Amino acid sequence: MFSTYPGQVVVDHPVKVPIEHRFDPYVDNGGTLLSIAGEDFCVVAADTRQSEGYSINSRYVPKSVKLSDKTVISMGGCYADCLTLTKKIQQSMEWYHHAHGKTMSTAAVAQMLSIMLYQKRFFPFYSWCILGGLDEEGKGAVYTYDPVGSYERESCRCAGSASSLIQPFLDNQIYFKNQVSQKKTLTLDQVLRITKDSFTSATERDIYTGDYLELFVITSKGVEVQKMDLKKD
Amino acid sequence: MEYNGGAVVAMVGKNCVAIACDKRLGVQAMTISTEFPKTFQATPKTYIGLPGLATDVQTLSEKFRFKVNMYRLKEEREIEPRTLAHLVSSTLYERRFGPWFVEPVIAGLDKENRPFICSTDLIGCINFAKDFVVSGTTSNQLYGMCESLWEPDLEPEDLFETISQSLMNAVDRDCLSGWGAQVTVITPDQVITRTLKSRQD
Repeated sequence: MFSTYPGQVVVDHPVKVPIEHRFDPYVDNGGTLLSIAGEDFCVVAADTRQSEGYSINSRYVPKSVKLSDKTVISMGGCYADCLTLTKKIQQSMEWYHHAHGKTMSTAAVAQMLSIMLYQKRFFPFYSWCILGGLDEEGKGAVYTYDPVGSYERESCRCAGSASSLIQPFLDNQIYFKNQVSQKKTLTLDQVLRITKDSFTSATERDIYTGDYLELFVITSKGVEVQKMDLKKD
Repeated sequence: MEYNGGAVVAMVGKNCVAIACDKRLGVQAMTISTEFPKTFQATPKTYIGLPGLATDVQTLSEKFRFKVNMYRLKEEREIEPRTLAHLVSSTLYERRFGPWFVEPVIAGLDKENRPFICSTDLIGCINFAKDFVVSGTTSNQLYGMCESLWEPDLEPEDLFETISQSLMNAVDRDCLSGWGAQVTVITPDQVITRTLKSRQD
């Protein structure tokens, strides 16, 4: 008959065996975001395509949310996690406002977000966050996060599916790396042009980036939103 | 493909082409040589770039040197870049089910001095591009840089600057590539190879 090995039992009737049901809790909805801090402004940009695998869920689902007149947050990754995290931040900001009588500053929101993310250290929010805004001195600030809350203030950063494509371009154009050193500050127009060029290039080569580009420009006057077309293929 | 690291990029300009590569040879995280360029001259006006597994880079560069020499002896003329591309493609496809771990890039001028570039995947599928081709562990970063910096009809000096900036900034975001760069610009009159000093990390 069959050859048996130690421990194996051969039977002639159906056997009940437990079946493992697995549930993968994370989904990658794709997309790219970037933020650049200027002397007295901050630009937060994100594409609006939401995808799942090779399908497009929607051409217009904004990834950035205005938290206050001085702060905008942008999140990529699993959209469900991003949505819940945004709600948590907005609710915490409202509690703060009731308790302290003033809006949370950008640096305060930055630290709070780090703590919120680390609280789920062992079942993380799958979201790549970039917080952009003006600090207490009115200068542009960009805070970048990893999914479990490690954060740092920088001058510019991109995250998401096309981050490896855009980040070296930003190094070259914003930090002037590998160029004869030019310590000049960039104007809002120059930064907007670099942002739009980054996204058009990323749209060409990354399938998860495209459709529309939403730009949030934060200045002392407040937050202005611009929308631009990207290739829809 | 990510054992030794490496990056190669080629671009088309106005009556010229340029090909560039990094010079690092590593064994995963450890760098063991900073003099390992990945571009090789096939004919006076054609260069082939071979990023990928270093042993295959060396073996294939010698195999192609042999095949190009045999072609020259039999045909009594230099091989055209387009023909070399097909030669590379068939050489790679011969090993369809046990491939060479390289993704070559070819750049050159044909007999009428028209620019030609192409790249292939590890089993020989040719990508005939009109603008630029990238290959190696740094390909994503190179795609981003080239897509933003490249424009058509760049003169040789401008093409050199563009390809150099694309390569240097891209490899600075990849830990497996870098440690210097070698850029070759091919024009109808001359071929100039320059070595760039970049971040040595």
